[in-house]
Amino acid sequence: MSDPAPPGEPRKRYVFDDPRNVRRVLWTFYAACALVFGAEFFMHRHVEHPWEGLFGFYALFGFGAYALLVILAEGLRLLVARRPDYYDD
Amino acid sequence: MISVAPFIVFLVGALLACFARGRVRDAIVVATPIVGALNLWALDGSAPTIITLFGRELILVEVDRLSMLFGWLFHLAAFLALIYGLHRPNKLEQVTCLLYAASTMGAIFAGDLLTLFMFWEGLGLTSVFLVLARGTRRSEKAAIRYLLMQIASGMLLLCGIVVLIGQGRSLDMAPMELEGLAAWLILLSLGIKAGFPLLHNWITDTYPEATVTGTVIMSALTTKTAIYVLARLFPGTEILIYIGVSMTLFPIFYAVIEDDLRRVLSYSVINQLGFMVTGIGIGTNLAINGAVSHAFAHVVYKSLLFMSMGAVLHRTGRIGASELGGLYRTMPRTTVMCIIGASSISAFPLFSGFVSKAMVMSAALQSGHEWVWLALLFASAGVLHHAGIKIPFCAFFGHDSGLRPKEAPRPMLIAMAIASFSCIFIGIFPGVLYGMLPYEVTYQPYTFEHVVTQLQLLLFAALCFVVLRLTRLEPAERPGVNLDVEWFYRYMLPRIARALRATLSRARLASGAAAEQILGAGIGLVTRLHGPRGVLARDPLGSYALIVIIALFAVVLVFELALGSR
Amino acid sequence: MNLLAHLPALQIVVPLVAAPICAVLFNPRIAQPFAVLVSLVTFAISVGLLNEVLAEGEIVYHMGGWEPPWGIAYVIDPLNALLLCLVSGMAAIVMPAVRLGIGAETTERSRRLFLSLALLALTGMLGIVITGDAFNLYVFLEISSLSSYALIATGNDRRAAPAAFNYLIQGTVGATFILIGIGLLYMMTGTLNMADLAVRIVDLRHTAPIQAALAFILVGAAVKAALFPAHAWMPNAYTYAPSMVSAFFGATATKVGAYIMIRFIFTVFGAEWVFGDMMIGWILVPLGIAAAFAGSLVAIWQTDLKRMLAYSSVAQVGYISAAIGLGNRDGLIAAIVHVFNHGLMKGALFMVMACVILRLGRADITSFRGLGRRMPVTMGCFVVAGLSMIGVPLTVGFVSKWYLVLGAIEAGVWPVAVLVIMSSLLSVIYIGRVIEVAYFAPAPDDARIQEAPALLLVPTLLLTVLCITFGIATDTTVGVAAYAVQFLLGGLP
Repeated sequence: MSDPAPPGEPRKRYVFDDPRNVRRVLWTFYAACALVFGAEFFMHRHVEHPWEGLFGFYALFGFGAYALLVILAEGLRLLVARRPDYYDD
Repeated sequence: MISVAPFIVFLVGALLACFARGRVRDAIVVATPIVGALNLWALDGSAPTIITLFGRELILVEVDRLSMLFGWLFHLAAFLALIYGLHRPNKLEQVTCLLYAASTMGAIFAGDLLTLFMFWEGLGLTSVFLVLARGTRRSEKAAIRYLLMQIASGMLLLCGIVVLIGQGRSLDMAPMELEGLAAWLILLSLGIKAGFPLLHNWITDTYPEATVTGTVIMSALTTKTAIYVLARLFPGTEILIYIGVSMTLFPIFYAVIEDDLRRVLSYSVINQLGFMVTGIGIGTNLAINGAVSHAFAHVVYKSLLFMSMGAVLHRTGRIGASELGGLYRTMPRTTVMCIIGASSISAFPLFSGFVSKAMVMSAALQSGHEWVWLALLFASAGVLHHAGIKIPFCAFFGHDSGLRPKEAPRPMLIAMAIASFSCIFIGIFPGVLYGMLPYEVTYQPYTFEHVVTQLQLLLFAALCFVVLRLTRLEPAERPGVNLDVEWFYRYMLPRIARALRATLSRARLASGAAAEQILGAGIGLVTRLHGPRGVLARDPLGSYALIVIIALFAVVLVFELALGSR
Repeated sequence: MNLLAHLPALQIVVPLVAAPICAVLFNPRIAQPFAVLVSLVTFAISVGLLNEVLAEGEIVYHMGGWEPPWGIAYVIDPLNALLLCLVSGMAAIVMPAVRLGIGAETTERSRRLFLSLALLALTGMLGIVITGDAFNLYVFLEISSLSSYALIATGNDRRAAPAAFNYLIQGTVGATFILIGIGLLYMMTGTLNMADLAVRIVDLRHTAPIQAALAFILVGAAVKAALFPAHAWMPNAYTYAPSMVSAFFGATATKVGAYIMIRFIFTVFGAEWVFGDMMIGWILVPLGIAAAFAGSLVAIWQTDLKRMLAYSSVAQVGYISAAIGLGNRDGLIAAIVHVFNHGLMKGALFMVMACVILRLGRADITSFRGLGRRMPVTMGCFVVAGLSMIGVPLTVGFVSKWYLVLGAIEAGVWPVAVLVIMSSLLSVIYIGRVIEVAYFAPAPDDARIQEAPALLLVPTLLLTVLCITFGIATDTTVGVAAYAVQFLLGGLP
């Protein structure tokens, strides 16, 4: 990433300019995902609805819903997106 | 204890602010909601205030748990926005904010529909200046469109009231059956203000065009006032469930593809209103509690998000997702508080959205609306996308836009800090909010499984984002206009008018065409009758006038004699 | 002699006697304060009468002690007490400003005559309203008409004379219609006293002369009220008359016509017959709605603003007519309240025109450019009275339209309610366009315009404040109107 610092000043590096820090955050995130998914095995479920009881329902639903949302939104973009000066006012 | 109607405090504040300047005015402006809160505290449990106007008894102030809750909420929201606005004190903006808050206070404490109507109109008439105050050509036009919608809402409400009076029914703010013209008119009026599908458009059209401060307070007050009235008048009305669900669903798609981050948040407003409307539609005690507490939590975190985006707009002059990015470097505090707002709206545990949204979802399941529940769950994932990830990520992280703005000004930071604190406080101590709800709360948000399942949903949705991002499948942000309902009046209507005019002139050219005669006659008639040289405007000759009088007499006479000889 | 007991007679006698005194007084500088004093006294008497009526109910006064059917009775119920207050109140407000309002437009020589004529016109209108005798009503009608023709002709504009002549022709036709109607009534019943007429007509309703009398009187009153399409005399008369005359007549003259209509329909002929068998509603309501649209539409295109106000009056008379035509309680309240309220707001608007004409010499729309900053108080009054004309809540205009819409709903004629609201939108245009020019158009550079003098400004402000006061404290007007309706409809709901 290029950082157009003003001339004469030392180029300042910020925390996420270092790819290692980004990787650290990501691994923490993966670990958290694994942890909450693993908690499924230890959880005593009081389901209010049978679907909820399906193994890994919330995790899979979250993942799937997000993917579906992005795909459908791309389809919507094809339908409704116009250039910025579309409304001539 | 001595107390006055809550709106009076704000009216007086506005009046004082009108005549003060500089620091004194700022002090008055910030003190007003504080005095208002003290007054509200004294008002609690007092008897209704009744005045007589237009020969009718109007219940100016009626206090119960529901109106008190919204009273506290709106005082808090106004307080936040007014502090936030101190970054660039502007008399018009400050006075308008106070008047606007006064209208809201009047509306939520109104004890009958006629009183409500007066303040209902006040909401639109005052807030329009917050849009105008932006001072651009675009905002001017948006303000006019906004005003038309708000007045339409007021007129529908008035028509509904007139029908009720005509039927001799009471104007109390009591639940009504959705039967007959009056109820539908009132529902339609509320629907405009609450952003029902197809009527929602003013929200996304106007909020992004208002001033930085204006958007913060507008997003908090108008729509939630409508939610309050809906909760009073139409709890348990089934159609609201389906309206609410569609409101949670359609905006999330728009939010994904929208570039203007304040417009993304405006779509998000509609999505969140959807949860509340659904809750009101379900109508069980749990659902109403959920809807109301969600309104409370929503006002705070949505203000926070709008404030953080306002800070970005204020410092960079840009708000498009495609032109921002990497701002965490120089605006770290704003970044952190934006993430707090994003976590709250996404309903992460320990944040305010978590303790309120789940009540509505739980109520949907308990009342057997499983598909509704599933749709709300889907919408929750959508919220995470646009408000939880897109807003902070596109503005503060993502690609480096090269912008190195200064940190937000101190008043903005203070307001955001108060809002952030409130979000976390409600999230950790939900009992405080639950204790104020209209019905007794038995719901327990912090169970092991609720926390885990919610985290599963959110983290795996976020995982999907990470995967799409790393595989570069995540679609890029692009500036542009996305067609919405406003297409009908911003694109189609002007073109129809232009086409008509063109047809008319063409028809005039093609002389002798029948079209000319019909169109020309139709449109020319009004001008010929009423125009400056029109028949009805001409200096009448005495004889002409006499003929008219005698003709009139002849008609009346024949009419009478014919009737008399029956 | 107990003076209080003779208040009804004094109401007429005071201005009637004062009129010739004014004419023969040598010095116009004395005549002016004298006329002001007289109009104030007259107003005080009206207020006294209204108080008495509200306290003790209907007052019946026998002129000269002669019992009807030989003598003339003055009958005062809440309706005419309210109208007496409006008419004499407007006179009291306008009269002090006459010196200015006509100063620029009439010659010095005719000033005394002018005041005398004004008092005569006042006498006539008060007489029409106060009398309980049909023929006496006609006499007063002629007194007020003749003096108003002369008053209008005093305008400086050379078109004032033809306008007055036009008014004379049409007004005379209208008055004659009323006279013929009264004649027919007398022929059939043998009495002229309204109370007696009401009793005797009941058995004669099936006869053609009575039905014809209704037609004659209605059309005659319609001409006097300038009800569309018999409004042709009004625009020119009000445009070219001196400002003060426009203000006084604009606020009162058409209202007296509407009063005649209400009085004959409800007191003499009987509402249930007129609206039931004769279905007058089917004439008054469509005419009223047509008037509302025709008047407002024409007003939109007018460049002379006095003319615009005159056409706006055509529309407002339309509302009154439609409200009467509804034939129910709320409709009648609307009619009475609107007679009063429209008097206030049209008076205020014409006073604004007087201020502008005094300073600029004309009142066309282009001369209003930038006037919002040059004459802030005057234009402020215009905005408030204009909003009232539109019918914005908390102004008097809203109150009357509110009752009109209620009445339409009660009568089950939805379209009327909708049309009334739609036509109100037209008034947004013609008022709005003036406000736009006054506040948003740049002012011409050379003009050095000042605010109007206090003598004109105070009455204008007073009327404007009343527009708001009676818009908020509606108990007074609506209360009196509701009380009046009890008398008019008798035991009917």
